[in-house]
Amino acid sequence: MKKIDADELSIANREIAFQHQEKEDRAAELIIANKELIFQNEEKERRAAELVIANKELAFQNTEKENRAAELIIANKELVFQNEEKERRAAELVIANKELAFQNTEKEHRAAELAIANKELAFQNEEKEKRAQELIVANRELKNAEDSIRKLNEELEQKVIERTAELEAVNKELGSFSYSVSHDLRAPIRAINGYTRIIVEDYGEKLDDEGNKALRSIINNSKKMGELIDDLLAFSKLGRKQVTLAEVSMSDLVQSLIHDLMFEDGENIPVFKLLALPPAKVDKSLIRQVWINLISNAIKYSKYKSITTIEIGAYEEGGMVVYYVKDSGAGFDMQYYDKLFGVFQRLHSQEEFEGTGIGLAIVQKIVDRHKGTVWAESILDKGTTFYFSLPKFYY
Amino acid sequence: MNYDDIEILFAEDSADDAVFTIRALTKSGFSNKLHHVVDGAAALDFLFCRGIYADRHNTHFPKLILLDLKMPKVSGIQVLEAVKSDPKLKSIPVVMLTSSNEGPDIERCFELGANSYIVKPVDSDNFFHAIKEIGMYWMILSQPAH
Repeated sequence: MKKIDADELSIANREIAFQHQEKEDRAAELIIANKELIFQNEEKERRAAELVIANKELAFQNTEKENRAAELIIANKELVFQNEEKERRAAELVIANKELAFQNTEKEHRAAELAIANKELAFQNEEKEKRAQELIVANRELKNAEDSIRKLNEELEQKVIERTAELEAVNKELGSFSYSVSHDLRAPIRAINGYTRIIVEDYGEKLDDEGNKALRSIINNSKKMGELIDDLLAFSKLGRKQVTLAEVSMSDLVQSLIHDLMFEDGENIPVFKLLALPPAKVDKSLIRQVWINLISNAIKYSKYKSITTIEIGAYEEGGMVVYYVKDSGAGFDMQYYDKLFGVFQRLHSQEEFEGTGIGLAIVQKIVDRHKGTVWAESILDKGTTFYFSLPKFYY
Repeated sequence: MNYDDIEILFAEDSADDAVFTIRALTKSGFSNKLHHVVDGAAALDFLFCRGIYADRHNTHFPKLILLDLKMPKVSGIQVLEAVKSDPKLKSIPVVMLTSSNEGPDIERCFELGANSYIVKPVDSDNFFHAIKEIGMYWMILSQPAH
């Protein structure tokens, strides 16, 4: 028996060991289960906390929902308003459609009119083309005309050049003509005069008074003709002579002229009253001729007065200096004034006062060439005053 | 012919003007000492002892030369120029005569040394006085070159 007991003991030991093991396992499992429980409790607490947060969230969401509901009410009101607006728009649209329909009709009218207008336009375009064509023709004609004008101008210019040359030639010819007239015309007159004088001197005693008188007449006439030629030449030369301006003392000039005057025996010598004369910028030889002609005129037309005064003076007027020669001689009737300055025009007979009638024409031409004026005032039998103006000379 | 005592050489192509000039000079007492030629060429021949005057002595010269301006062949101006550019002749007074005071000749004459200038007046009385005066003046003033 012992072996069986040992066997049985071993089995019992083994059972106890196993039970121990089991107890230990159970304890271990318990520990684990406790741990699990602790974890689960912690989880529950976590869930509870989450629930609190979730409840708060829900409360917030409810408030939000209320807000939304309020907004929805506003949105609904807005929608109603918009619907009303839409109806209004629809009504307006109806009107607008009617208007559109009317406008369409109008457009059709317009289209019809436009069609007519287009036709008109097409016609006008054709017309325009015609006009353009005409314009081209006209332009061509214009160009031709311009070409002709240019050509004419060129021809004209050429003609001007030719004419100028001709004129210069004529002028030159006139110069040599004057020379010829002066030279060749005087020669035969001089011969007539000279031979007549020889007859008078050498054969006068053999002729009676009638014969001598006729010869004297020939001498006087030939002399007169010589004077006419000289005066005419002097006059024609004036137009061609160059005017050379220089300062001239008019007082000195007139004084020397009066000083040089020559009087024949028994001639009526006038009293000269020479007043102050401003200087002038003139061609001395020409102005000298003016003074000579005016002073000798004054002397000539005073010759029948017993005592006679000739006053020479000057005054300023409007930027001009007016010089004058005043006599108390025969004078003339102012109704013949327009003949006074004409070439070969005379207001007195040869018998009364000799002269060729060119002196005052020369005066006028010279004064003209100095940009001045000459005029006269006269009373028959009382005397004449001749005036000539010259631009004032500033010195 | 003896030309040595000629005092006035007178060159004038117009026969009429020559008549009047010679008459004026004659009346003034110069006629017998005057020689008249009808153009400038003859005047030069006379003065330079050439042509028909070849036998004239070139030691005797006139005291006065009267020259018409416009003459055939050789003009008065050309004679004047020849006289005034010749050392032997240039001191002889030369008086120019012309029919008119027209033309550019007057200035040229004085440039060349003419001593006087007479425009022949239409009135022969004036001409006579002019010739007489100018003749006397230059004849008395004149100092012969030799």
